Amino acid sequence: MDSSATSATLTNRTARAFCLTSAGWMVMATLMGLAGATELIAPDLSHNIGWLVFGRVRPIHVNLVLFGFVTPGLLASAFYFLPRLLQTEIYSERLGLITVWLWNITLLAAVISLASGFSQGREYAELIWPVDLLVVACFGLVCYNLFMTVKRRREPLLYVSVWYVCAAVILTSVTYCIGNVIWQPNSGALVGIPDAIILWFYGHNIFGLLLTPLAIAVAYYVIPTAIRSPLYSHTLSLIGFWSLLVVYTHIGTHHLLQVPVPTWLKVIAIVDSIAMVIPVMVFLINIWYTAKGKLGEIHADIGAKFVFTGTIMYFFVSIQGSIMALPQVQRVTHFNNWVVGHAHIGVLGFAAMIALGGLYFIIPRITGRPLYSRFLADLQYWLVLIGVVGFTVVLTTVGLIQGNAWLNGETVYRVLPEIHLYYVLRASLGFLIFSSAIIGFYNIIRSLLSQSGAKA
Amino acid sequence: MYYPYFLTYMLAGFIISILVFFWALYNRQFKDQQRARFLPLQGGDQAEPVRVSKMNRIEGYALLGLACLGLLTTAAVLIFALVRGG
Repeated sequence: MDSSATSATLTNRTARAFCLTSAGWMVMATLMGLAGATELIAPDLSHNIGWLVFGRVRPIHVNLVLFGFVTPGLLASAFYFLPRLLQTEIYSERLGLITVWLWNITLLAAVISLASGFSQGREYAELIWPVDLLVVACFGLVCYNLFMTVKRRREPLLYVSVWYVCAAVILTSVTYCIGNVIWQPNSGALVGIPDAIILWFYGHNIFGLLLTPLAIAVAYYVIPTAIRSPLYSHTLSLIGFWSLLVVYTHIGTHHLLQVPVPTWLKVIAIVDSIAMVIPVMVFLINIWYTAKGKLGEIHADIGAKFVFTGTIMYFFVSIQGSIMALPQVQRVTHFNNWVVGHAHIGVLGFAAMIALGGLYFIIPRITGRPLYSRFLADLQYWLVLIGVVGFTVVLTTVGLIQGNAWLNGETVYRVLPEIHLYYVLRASLGFLIFSSAIIGFYNIIRSLLSQSGAKA
Repeated sequence: MYYPYFLTYMLAGFIISILVFFWALYNRQFKDQQRARFLPLQGGDQAEPVRVSKMNRIEGYALLGLACLGLLTTAAVLIFALVRGG
């Protein structure tokens, strides 16, 4: 197949549908985050409104960010670039669209069930069994469609992005089933310490083995394409891929260093957490060397700008993550807002930045027109950037205050008034992120659905 | 057994990885790495030139106002924290 004919004849219907899904649910996900942050300032705000209490809003926020906003955003890019890298069409665009519909039904079911108080009560694995089945079905359909596309490829060599996408969807399918103890529909859990171990393997890997490989895959495609230069080293990228697979699957127990789990398991978790420096630096060195001397091109392309910023955030969150796995450090940083800050740098600063970059990179190529508004995209970029940097500063500061206070024997009720102002600041930053979501939604909808604007 | 699920999880990941690695080795996926570097550039995937947006001026002011509101809120809280935070 002629490569230019490939781009011209691809319909990108699945990619387009995932774009809309991501943009829409970003608004809802960030609204829930803002609601949760507001309730931390004014706990009585939703006192008599059951479905709005913090215990329900927080899991809705987390699950929507994960499955509603970031994953569909990254999958949109994956469904866009896989046919181009494999020199074939998506196996079934119809199946892709069915997947997107099922995906949205699943998200709706997740929101309704969590808001109604139906929860498994396990952090990050709150969704109840019927919704679990829907999630697994969605990933199963994505796996089938992508693997059949790979099977029908005309390009024999698999580019590193293809490796990462395939690993992400297959590993997440396995992770989700095991982590949610899907063979126990009534509880969705084991008992005691084994449940804590399995939960934190899930809790870490549902982000680490889904968002990280998908985001890296997008970066490995967007940066070379935007600057029109080959990847610095494909061999290096494959070393990073295989080392990530070896290292990343075993580090979940670093969430349980202060829990009576076996020492050997903690040692594996700590050693592998430090060893994460290898795949992280391999990726960053590779992508930054690829971009060396081409920052002007990256700045000119708003999608590449988002993605490149995401790689910088990846550096910070990964180094922070490795250091946080050390028991001495964790005595101060665990069980407080430091971890929340870390999660926001990782998910919002790294994965979501790259997801948004992927969307802004592919939308003009899908529609054949420039973005509806480059200005709005830039505005969203700055709002997200200010928001995530602000979260980092505020939550890290609060975490250190809490950690030191508790280490010194202060009681919780004496610490809470000290951090109240930081919570107000956090909610204000949440408002920035929510505003950026509305702006992004508007821009993406207009870019995809509006026929206005002549082709360049 | 105390850790069957943990071991199942690790083994599943390990076995899948080993199988795929040998599939890749057998299918010569680690050869011709120089050509692999250029694969993203072979799809004819060149964007239209960057253009200045034609956004309606009112929309621009409204959205700028929204952003400024957020920034001012953040600044106000920061100033309040510094002045009254004790």
